[in-house]
Order: sequence, then structure tokens, then C-alpha cells
Amino acid sequence: MKKVITFFGLALGIVLFPAGAKIFAQSNTDSTLYKLQQEVNSLKSGENHFMVAGLTTFGFVSSSIKTNGKLQNPARTNSFDGDNFEFSPMMLWRHGKKLLLEFEPSFDGNQIGVNWACASYFVTNGLIIRAGYFVLPFGMYNKRLAAGWIDKVATDPIGVADLPPASDWGVEVEGGLQLGSMKASYDVALTTGYQIVHDGAQDGALQNPNGSGLTDNNNNKMVTGRVSLLPIANSSLEIGFSGQYGNVGDTNDSLYKNATSMAYAVDLTYLADLGPLLLNIKGQYNVINVSKQAFPSTDSTSAGKTYTFSNTTTSYFGQVSLRPVAIHNKILRNFELAFRYTDFMTPKGSLWEQNTTQTSIGLDYWLSWRSILKLTYETVNTNNFKLGKAGDVTKANYIYLQYSVQF
Amino acid sequence: MKTKTIKMLIVAIAIIAIPLSSLVTGCVSAKVAAKSGSQLWSENCRRCHNTPPANTFSGEQWETVGLHMQSRALLTDLERDKIVNFLKGE
Ligand code: HEC
Repeated sequence: MKKVITFFGLALGIVLFPAGAKIFAQSNTDSTLYKLQQEVNSLKSGENHFMVAGLTTFGFVSSSIKTNGKLQNPARTNSFDGDNFEFSPMMLWRHGKKLLLEFEPSFDGNQIGVNWACASYFVTNGLIIRAGYFVLPFGMYNKRLAAGWIDKVATDPIGVADLPPASDWGVEVEGGLQLGSMKASYDVALTTGYQIVHDGAQDGALQNPNGSGLTDNNNNKMVTGRVSLLPIANSSLEIGFSGQYGNVGDTNDSLYKNATSMAYAVDLTYLADLGPLLLNIKGQYNVINVSKQAFPSTDSTSAGKTYTFSNTTTSYFGQVSLRPVAIHNKILRNFELAFRYTDFMTPKGSLWEQNTTQTSIGLDYWLSWRSILKLTYETVNTNNFKLGKAGDVTKANYIYLQYSVQF
Repeated sequence: MKTKTIKMLIVAIAIIAIPLSSLVTGCVSAKVAAKSGSQLWSENCRRCHNTPPANTFSGEQWETVGLHMQSRALLTDLERDKIVNFLKGE
């Protein structure tokens, strides 16, 4: 009961605070009246604006995989790339000048999911409130770079893009602030949260209960937040710090009911004009710590016993790209060279321990500001372990030819 | 040293050193209020994707995109208004 009250108190605070601030800020009667008239006008039905945008990504992949030194048969497979396919129409519905609804369903070749289904209210300068289903403000890859026409290589960085899970239900407040010639931003979300998996294969991993068959059966909410600083006046550098905390336990299961998860991320964006070249640097580092739990042993020889491990997952990527934006030759100007390195490590001693490195080199051709043709060469090396014992070692290389467009 | 450690170091050094060096050298102080819409457009929109040209959308659509991008880029109202007005050709 106490938790419910705290939660409602918080929610009410979030809703009432901006409303109060707004009333206070508009105490100047004349201009208030004028503004109100304008606002009323802008809320009339004639002021509804509907816009359909969206994106699609499709391509071709040629892959060659060696497991424990043994080449697959056939040595190389060529196919249309189902893994990175995406078709996502996006509906933006603006009501007046303060309310925006966005709905972005997405078909990935197997199923239709939803990336965004939410309403955002632009309360006042520096304060936007959102409610619904949205991408969490953890790091920057998911919210900013994941779209195929934005990403400069054909794949997502392994272990960064989906960990922790990207979208959730809840409420969010965010905004941008001016600090002299610097800028800052904040973004905080209160959402349903994840559940710990204890299925004997992925023991200790986190899952988003939405659509995974799990239900969120703890009443605690998860808090995710990111603050960022843009210290240079031309906004070319942004450094973001994110944190996420929540109970991931299962109230019905005495073994895991107190399990919690704490995650951090640091992200960086930097752009610089180097003569005719535009240098673009992006990076993100994630750490996920789930509290230590004991899981029933899956091994028949130690039936009835439990096993445990430090449940820490880390991942990071760094990306550098170069585009000769300011040279005269119209064709050369549209080329971009990109390099990305990703490292992903799951918990040592778990059943799903792996250490993966992904190296991607891309040559891109921009057909317009929002349509891109990518040629990406990628190697992915994975060392698998089970309860600390070395397992399969795979070395794979891929060549992607991909087209992505935002419309 | 393993090649992985070296790669990791190179990535880390590049990520930290390059922006820091420009903090020292390229720091031109100018407040948003003193900047034009076109300057704000060219500085802010390219942080995540290529800068969109004004002829991509109608004025009404730019108003919508303006809100949408304000919530992605976490722009201030002043930045958003100046950029949207510039894109609308006002
Ligand atoms: C913080 C990253 C970021 C910045 C900065 C940014 N955008 Fe975007 N933009 C995105 C993302 C991500 C999308 C894809 C839509 C989504 O989020 O699903 C997008 C999509 C768009 C679209 C497609 C239509 C739409 O609304 O989705 C337009 C047009 C656009 N941006 C214009 C701009 C303009 C103009 C600016 C400069 C004010 C800007 N963007 C700055 C991240 C950004």
C-alpha cells in the first residue's frame, strides 16, 4: 500500500509540477490572454496535423562461419539479410503546438513489434512529459542511432543495442537547458521494468516482460535516467551519463524476489570539420549488474544443488566515420567511410557466458540526406563458456550490401 | 599485449583525446540567442544524422518534425523555434 501511495504521489507530482510552473510563468495578464487565445485556436480541430514518415532497411548478406577452426559447409552462404531487415511506418500526429503523438510499428521479417507508441506534451521550455510505450533513455544508441538510415554500418553493435532491453511502458520527463554558452539535457523515465530469467539456459539474464511471455509481477517500478552536457558552444560535443535501477525479482518466487538490477552507461558524440572532411565520433559503454542469485543446478550430477556467479555484463562500441562533405566533386562528397569496434562480455561463470568482439568497416554512399547504400565488411569472434568451462569458439565474417531510407 | 587490449586502447584514446583537444582550442563562445536559425540548424541537426534541407517538408510538417526532434535532441524552445522558422523559410 505504501508503495502504491508513493508511486501515485510521484506520478501526481510529475503531472502537477509543470502545470503549476506554467500557471506561475504566465501571470502577465495581457500576454497571457493573447497566448491563451492562440492556444485555443491551435487546439481547434483544424489544427490537427497528421504526418506519415518511417523507414525501411533491406539488403543482402554473404557470410562465412568457422566453429572451432572448422569451416561451415558450404564455406560461404549468400542470402537476403533477414536479421537487419526493417519496415517501420511512423505516424506523427501533432495537435496544436504542444501535443505530439507518435506510433512506430516495426516489422522485422518475423513479427510486428512496436518501437514507439506514446504521447508527448511540451509543457514549457525545458520540460516535455511523455506517457506510453517508448525507447528508454539509457545510453544513446537505441534512441538516436539505431535507425538504418542513421547507422553508418549495416548492423547494430552486439550487446549494446538490446541490452538492457530498449523499450518499456511508463512515463518520462525530459528537456534541454541552456547554461551560458553550454547546454545540458535530462531525461528520466519511470517504467514497468524487467524480469530476471531463471529458465536453466539464460539464468540471471534480464528480459522485458512485454511480449516475452513473462509478466511483471513485482510492483516496483524501474527508474532510467540520462543527463548530458554539451560543453562546446557549437554543440559538437555531447557527453551523456545514464543510470538504471529496478527490482527485477519475481514476487511469487521466494528464490529471486529480492533480485535487483543496476546499470550504467556513458556515451559520447563528437563532430569536427577537418578541412573538407566531417569527422564523426560516437561511443557508448554499458555495465549491467544484477544482484547475485543462486540458481538450481542444471547438471544431473549435482541435482538439488545450486550454482551462482557475479552477474555483470559489459559492452561498448566506438565508431569513427569520415565524409568529405565540403569538397566540390558531387559524387565523392556523398561517400562516407566508417569504422566501428564492439566488445560484449556476459557474466563469467554463467550458462550464457560469452566474449564477443565485432569489427565493422563500412563504405557508404549517400543518395540523399536520408537514404544510404552501405557496403559493410564485418568480423564477429565469439568465445563461449558454460559455467566457466570453455566451449565453442566461432569466427565469422560477413559482407553486407544494404539500402536504407527514411521517408 | 593482446591485440584486443591495443584495439580497446586506441578506441578509448581517440574517443577521449579528440573532443578534449577541441575543448581547449575550438571553444568559440556564443549563446543561442545570438545565433541565427540557419546556424542552429547546421550545428544541431547533424549530431545524429545528416542535416535535412528545408525543401524536404512543408511548413506544417516542419512544425511537427520540430516537436519530434526537440524531444530527440532535447533542444530548448528557442532553438526549436529558430530552426523551424528557418526551415519554413520565415
Ligand atoms: C539526438 C539525435 C538527433 C538530433 C540531434 C536530430 N535528430 Fe532528427 N531524427 C533522429 C532520429 C533517431 C530519427 C528517427 C525517428 C525516430 O526516432 O524513430 C530522426 C528523424 C528525423 C526526421 C524524419 C521525420 C521524423 O520526424 O522522424 C527529420 C525530418 C529530422 N529527424 C530532422 C531533424 C532536424 C531538422 C534536426 C535539427 C533540429 C534533427 N533532426 C536533429 C535523431 C536526431
